[in-house]
Amino acid sequence: MNHATAATAANECDIKVFCCPKSGNSVEEYEDAWAHRPTRTPTGLRVAVADGATESSFAKLWAMLLAESYVRSDVAGEEFFARLQPARRLWRRRLAGRPLPWFASEKAGQGAFAALLGLQIDAHANRWTALAVGDCCLLQVDDVGKGMRVLTAFPLQESSQFTMSPYLIGSRSDGEPLHERIHISKGSLRDGDMLLLATDAVAAWLLKQHEDGRPLWKWLYRKLRTPESFAAMVAYGRTHGLRNDDCTLVRVIHHDAPVAAKER
Amino acid sequence: MAYQAEISRKNPGCFLFLVDQSESMEDPFAGGDAGKKKAEELATILNKLLHNLCIRCAKSDSIYDYFHVGVLGYSDESCKPALGGELSGRSLVPISELASKPLRIEERTKQSDDGAGGVMDQTVKFPVWFDPYWKGGTPMCAALKDATKLVETWCQEHPNGFPPIVINLTDGEATDGDLVAEARKLTAVSGEDGSVLLFNIHLSSTAGPSIELPGTASKLPDQHAKALFEASSTLTPFMVARATELGLPAGENSRGFIFNAQPLHVIHFLDIGTRPANVRLR
Repeated sequence: MNHATAATAANECDIKVFCCPKSGNSVEEYEDAWAHRPTRTPTGLRVAVADGATESSFAKLWAMLLAESYVRSDVAGEEFFARLQPARRLWRRRLAGRPLPWFASEKAGQGAFAALLGLQIDAHANRWTALAVGDCCLLQVDDVGKGMRVLTAFPLQESSQFTMSPYLIGSRSDGEPLHERIHISKGSLRDGDMLLLATDAVAAWLLKQHEDGRPLWKWLYRKLRTPESFAAMVAYGRTHGLRNDDCTLVRVIHHDAPVAAKER
Repeated sequence: MAYQAEISRKNPGCFLFLVDQSESMEDPFAGGDAGKKKAEELATILNKLLHNLCIRCAKSDSIYDYFHVGVLGYSDESCKPALGGELSGRSLVPISELASKPLRIEERTKQSDDGAGGVMDQTVKFPVWFDPYWKGGTPMCAALKDATKLVETWCQEHPNGFPPIVINLTDGEATDGDLVAEARKLTAVSGEDGSVLLFNIHLSSTAGPSIELPGTASKLPDQHAKALFEASSTLTPFMVARATELGLPAGENSRGFIFNAQPLHVIHFLDIGTRPANVRLR
């Protein structure tokens, strides 16, 4: 799978989604997930990316349930995680009664695990709120086309902070409480700001390129248009330090709403 | 840089276990329940390691062949493949085949969280690949020689793969030569990504505190432990980091040597993708 989807939500944000599976894996084995949905109150957009852990079973299903749960929810804070029971029930139901060999049954019993990054944009107030558990990252780039400053890297700020063993959200609720693992951040938006939501391998590599003085922000803003251009970037990256993993990148470009729209 | 090769189904890793089945393994094990023989402890450890390797590679309703696994037993002046049943006589098998062909699957009861703050009894499947056995001397050097031949072939067939890891489970009393010299020959075998790694799990009758991944031999209780430490490979930087994540006292000089302790974390020393930190090792 190398594909992109595009949408304009609430007339104020351009969204494009790019993704491709780990090299050597089939499309069916891709275990990231993403979702986006316009919101009315506040007028804006909710976007999520999730990354199912390789070393857990039925992780794709869990990542999809998490991303969908976020964009369909109306809360943007820590309380979101107290409302995951329906998603957990659905995950269990999809597996119930399925004949599994002993090893698959035992692994499923451990539950699935995934990282989640959710972003709520209030387009009229020009504000965003992000929520994260794990290592999917939000990158906000300002002054696009000029200085291209990275205003936000959340919840991880540097490429060296990524590990192979992050704390993730489990599909079973009997594990360690997430409380201390939840990260929340807020920020403001200006016309033309670019927000990137990326799963860990892409996020770590983009940050590393930035740290090494070879930022890709301009290219991501202006040239990244098609699944093919994303695939080419990933292929290049994989020969230049991008870890072989599923890759997902959601690009949101914010356009300040016209005054008339704000008054509606 | 060595030890960077990605482990995948196309480029699998290799675990080769060498198990001591000599007469001295009948003696009591000093690191566990009173009256337990070293051979019984070894069988428990090996079955758990194989079990956990299978679980690690299980993916939804199938299992990915991230690893090939072999078990060589040494006793009574000989060394031979020690997996039984349908795997009898096989030196290395893909993990999917290992998972589907244990000797038997027992049902055991364990207590687990009931999701409401209490505990409940749960019946779990417990596959058994290996039963306790002991006879005759300890031809550990012969086992290391056979292992050397096996990993040489593996490295020729997988020149770009992660180097094989050989895990020797023993009470440390070789009766057929200089185990350190044989270990050096084994760990001299190499591929593009580095040399073969040898870890030693020492199940001793000598009482004393458990020792895991030491950087020096200074606290080891006897000459057998010291020889096994000497024969053990230094951990790679990733292994040191993973061991630290798992709560083990590892440092940059740590060796793959464990004295009278459970070595279950060893199979997590190879990276096959994101591992949730909130999954506890059993």
